[in-house]
Amino acid sequence: MVDFDPQLVADGLVYSSIIVLGSIGLSLVYDIADFPNFAHGDLMAVGAFGALAVHGSLGFPFPVAVVTGMVIGAVVAVLTNRVVFEPMDAGPLELLIASIGVALIYRAALMQRFGTESQSYDVGGQAPIDAAQETLGIAINVRAVAIIAVTLVLVGALHAMLQYTSLGRQMRATSANPSLARVSGIRTDRVVTAMWVIGGALAAAGGVFLGLHTLIRPRMGFDILLVLFAAVILGGIGSVYGAMAGGLVIGMVHELTPAIPVVPTRYNTAIAFVIMILILLVQPSGIAGGKTSA
Amino acid sequence: MSVLEVRDVDSGYGDMQVLHGMSLDLHEEEIVCMVGPNGAGKSTVLKTVFGLLEPWSGTIRLDGEDITGMAPEDLVRRGMAYVPQVDNVFPPLTVEENLRMGGVAREDPGPVIEELYERFPLLDEKRTAKAGSLSGGQQQLLALARALVVEPEVLLIDEPSAGLAPTIVDDVFEDVRKVNELGTAILMIEQNARAGLRISDRGYVLDQGSVEFEGNADTLLEDPKVAELYLGG
Repeated sequence: MVDFDPQLVADGLVYSSIIVLGSIGLSLVYDIADFPNFAHGDLMAVGAFGALAVHGSLGFPFPVAVVTGMVIGAVVAVLTNRVVFEPMDAGPLELLIASIGVALIYRAALMQRFGTESQSYDVGGQAPIDAAQETLGIAINVRAVAIIAVTLVLVGALHAMLQYTSLGRQMRATSANPSLARVSGIRTDRVVTAMWVIGGALAAAGGVFLGLHTLIRPRMGFDILLVLFAAVILGGIGSVYGAMAGGLVIGMVHELTPAIPVVPTRYNTAIAFVIMILILLVQPSGIAGGKTSA
Repeated sequence: MSVLEVRDVDSGYGDMQVLHGMSLDLHEEEIVCMVGPNGAGKSTVLKTVFGLLEPWSGTIRLDGEDITGMAPEDLVRRGMAYVPQVDNVFPPLTVEENLRMGGVAREDPGPVIEELYERFPLLDEKRTAKAGSLSGGQQQLLALARALVVEPEVLLIDEPSAGLAPTIVDDVFEDVRKVNELGTAILMIEQNARAGLRISDRGYVLDQGSVEFEGNADTLLEDPKVAELYLGG
């Protein structure tokens, strides 16, 4: 049914990278705060515009802008939790509704500051790399390669952090059993803050990459949010590794749609959801099988 | 002297009051067992002492210092530890990681963890196994060991024998006694009241949220009224 086309795989990897970065934070919040954070997509946009301001207006080199964007994403995520979600001390439904409000606030603030026009980062790297063209027969530019490479580094660093550092172990312990974590002496409030930092920073990186891959728009994050949810649900809600796997699958399916005969390319998001439903029919608890984020 | 002192504590869940003027003492190097019917408030006592439930009134003192309403993560740093009845290990973490979580409240838990491996060779063999893959008895042992990493002065244990096969129950009680012999005062709950009292110095019989009887464990075991009402004849 699907013809193997290296070009579509390359495109898929780029899109998957963006989805994976967004999904991890969404899954972390679902895990620790127990609600689907509808502001997470717009948090990606916040990161994208943050980097735009640092690079475009302030003139810092692009890598510095990316890191600054991630810091902005982390700070905004932590502040939002402190100011809105934590004081509410409410159930999942109330927090979900509140997060939609937060999403609107982020977006309105971005529109007010940056306008509604699409913008782009003034960096090169858009021309296809000749070597890739000749050896693999694919058109892939430096931007795409950088997105995939940096995502691999970030995901690898997160994995190492979760498995081999004290904070990482405390995050996994808190995720598995928050009450026992406190009983053991873990300061869970700090662990929760660390999770918001990580989720916010990765979302911002995903937002920058989405802006790099396409265009920077205030709605960019909201438009991608449902795809993120599909990835998180597919991976198994609340599992970091599940979110990575789900993000990869959903991103690839999204870009591989053109290879499916008869189905118009415009249906790519719908196809991603169909695949999600098919996998969940076989494995109802998601790819990570209902395990927590270990 | 009392290391742990509970005075006139009222406590409960939401609007539902469970403890009514609860008072008890735990002396240095003692094992004290709380027995009583389901719903008597035994677990509520431990949860309230360990800061998982906010007491409505009354005071709790550790080494003479008021710790009423203090958070669990702070109590751990003051020399108290708690083994819950269920969900008392982190299933996705390895045995080693579980023990390390027990040691986050102290500097350099490594040597203590090594000592615990020597005392409990079964855990030593399973260092890299996920806690969720252990048997019930092994998990109970791990839960106990996790609480010991801080070398607590006071240890609260909620039903060490819960859900365990009778053959393993004796081993777990033996482990509890060994912990006590090394100087840790233990306040525990035991559904198997006779077995619990047998390894204890003193006991409290709880009913409907307050103390009905208290005394030396032997005295309680021999008291015909206690036996008839609470120890199943």
